Amino acid sequence: MLEAKGLMVFYENMLALNNVSIKCADNQIVGIFGANSAGKSTLMYTLAGIILDMQKKEAMAGGERITMMGEIRYQGEEISHLKPSLRARKGIILCPERRRIFKESSVIENLRIGGYLASAPQAKKTLAYVFELFPTLKHLQKRIGGFLSGGEQQMLAIGRALMAQPKILLLDEPLLGLSPLMQSNLIHATREICNKMQIAIIVTEQYARPVMPIVDYAFILENGSAVLEGTRQELMDNPDVRSAYFGIEES
Amino acid sequence: MDILIYGTINSVALALYALGFAMVYGVSRLPNFAHGALYVLSGFITWTMLNSLGLPYIVSIVLTLIITGIIGAMIYQFVLIRVRGMEISEIIASYAIGLAILEGLRWGGFRGVNYTLPAFIAGSTNIAGISVDYQRLLVVAIGAAVVAVLWLFTHYTRIGLALRGMAQDERAAMMLGIDSDLMAVVAMGFGSMLAALAAILLLPLGNVVVEAGYNVLILAIAVCIVGGLGSWMGAVLAAFLIGFAQILTVVYLGAQYQMVVAIFAIILTLILKPSGIFGQQKELEERV
Repeated sequence: MLEAKGLMVFYENMLALNNVSIKCADNQIVGIFGANSAGKSTLMYTLAGIILDMQKKEAMAGGERITMMGEIRYQGEEISHLKPSLRARKGIILCPERRRIFKESSVIENLRIGGYLASAPQAKKTLAYVFELFPTLKHLQKRIGGFLSGGEQQMLAIGRALMAQPKILLLDEPLLGLSPLMQSNLIHATREICNKMQIAIIVTEQYARPVMPIVDYAFILENGSAVLEGTRQELMDNPDVRSAYFGIEES
Repeated sequence: MDILIYGTINSVALALYALGFAMVYGVSRLPNFAHGALYVLSGFITWTMLNSLGLPYIVSIVLTLIITGIIGAMIYQFVLIRVRGMEISEIIASYAIGLAILEGLRWGGFRGVNYTLPAFIAGSTNIAGISVDYQRLLVVAIGAAVVAVLWLFTHYTRIGLALRGMAQDERAAMMLGIDSDLMAVVAMGFGSMLAALAAILLLPLGNVVVEAGYNVLILAIAVCIVGGLGSWMGAVLAAFLIGFAQILTVVYLGAQYQMVVAIFAIILTLILKPSGIFGQQKELEERV
C-alpha cells in the first residue's frame, strides 16, 4: 500500500534519514521503533509530506537547507512531490507527535475541523464511531482542547485524524508521556481501529514493549538508518532486540 | 446620552474597519497593511459604477464586494504568497501595495470633494431627543449582523472551521488535508470583502478621500492590537473601548485628538499587555 525506498533526508549537513526503506501493506499495523533522534518523526513528516512545507518555510526564511531523496509509492503511485494536503486527500493522514490539537477549540470543534475532507454522512458516521471508541470524548464534547489531560488530548488527536477518513494512518509517538493504563487503552484502540475501519496504520514509539503485541511487522531505526526489520515473532526472538527494546537480558 | 449613541455608532464603525484585518491576521499571520487602501479603493469602485457606468446602487454594491474580494485574493496569490512567513517583508510588501493603490488613485484624479456615495436611506430620526440619521442606525444594525454571521460562519461551516483550524496550528491543519495556501487566499478574499463592506456602509457618511485609507489602516491596527492580534471577538470588544474613548475625547477635549486616542491606545497596550486584552493564546497560558 505504502512503500518508501531509499529515503534520505538531510537537515543542512546532518543526516536525519539514511537510506531508509519501509513498507506497509493493506490492513496492517507496522511499528517503527527507535530512540530519541533516531529519525522517527522525520520519517513520518516525509511520508505525510510535511517535510516539503518545512523545506519551503526554511528556504524562505533563509534557515536550514532540507534535502530529500528517495521515492515514496502509495497505491502504486509516486507521491514524493505531492504537497501534504493532497496526500491527506488521498488518505495518508498523520496524527503528529505531541498531538497538536487545536487548543482554543472545543473537542467537538476539533473533530469537525478534522472532518474537512469528509462528506456529511461520512463525518456523522465517523463521529459516532469516535465517540464509541473513546466514550470519554463524548462526555467532554464542550471542553476546550487546551484544558484536556494528555491522554484525552491523544484520544482527541486520533479521533480528529480518523475524521479525515484515512486509508493509512500515521501515528507518531501516540504514547508519549501517558500513564501505563492510558497506554494500554490506546494500544487496544489502535488495533480495533485497524480491524474495524480496515485501514493500515504505521505507529512509531520509543519503547517497543507496549506496542509490540499489536504490530504485524516492525522496523528498528538507529541514527537514521533502518537497522533491523521483521515480523513481530522474528523481532521478539532476536536477542539484541530483546535486550535493547524490551529490557530482557539473556543470561 | 449622545455619548452613548454616538459612542456605539463609532465603535461599530471601528469594528467594521478592523474585522477584515483581524481575519487575515488570524488565519495567515499576515499583517495586511493594504487594508486601508482596499477600503478606499472599494469606495471609488462603487462610485465609478454608480456614476460613470450608471448601474443601480444595489448592483454596484454587490459587484464592489465581489471585485474587492477578488482583488484581495489576487494580491495574496501573486505577491504576498512569495514573502509568506517573513513578517517584515510581509509588512513592506503589503504596505507598498497599499501605497501604490492609494497614490495611484490620487494620481488618477480621484481627489476633491465631489466623490460622495448616497446614503441607503435618507433622513433621520430622534432617539431620546438626539437626532440620528438612518444611515448610522443601519451601520449599527449591519455591523451587528456581520459579527453574528462571521461567528456562525467560523463555527459551523466547513471552510470557516478550516480557517479556524489553520489560525491555531497551520501544520496540524495541513495534516488533515486543509490546503494552507488556498485557505490564506480565501481569508484574504474575505478580509478584503469586509473592508469593502465597511467602506460601503461608512463612506456615505462623508466624502470618499484617499487620505481615509491611512486613517482606516491605523484605526484597524489599533483595534487589533488592543484586542489581541488574531482574536476576532477581542477586536470587537476593543472597538468598543477605543470607540467610546474617542467620542469622550471629542466631547471633552476636541475633535482633533481623535487619532491620538488610537495611537495612544497602541502604545499603552504594547507597554502594559503586549498580547492585547483578549490575546487568546496568552489567555490560555495564563489560565493553565
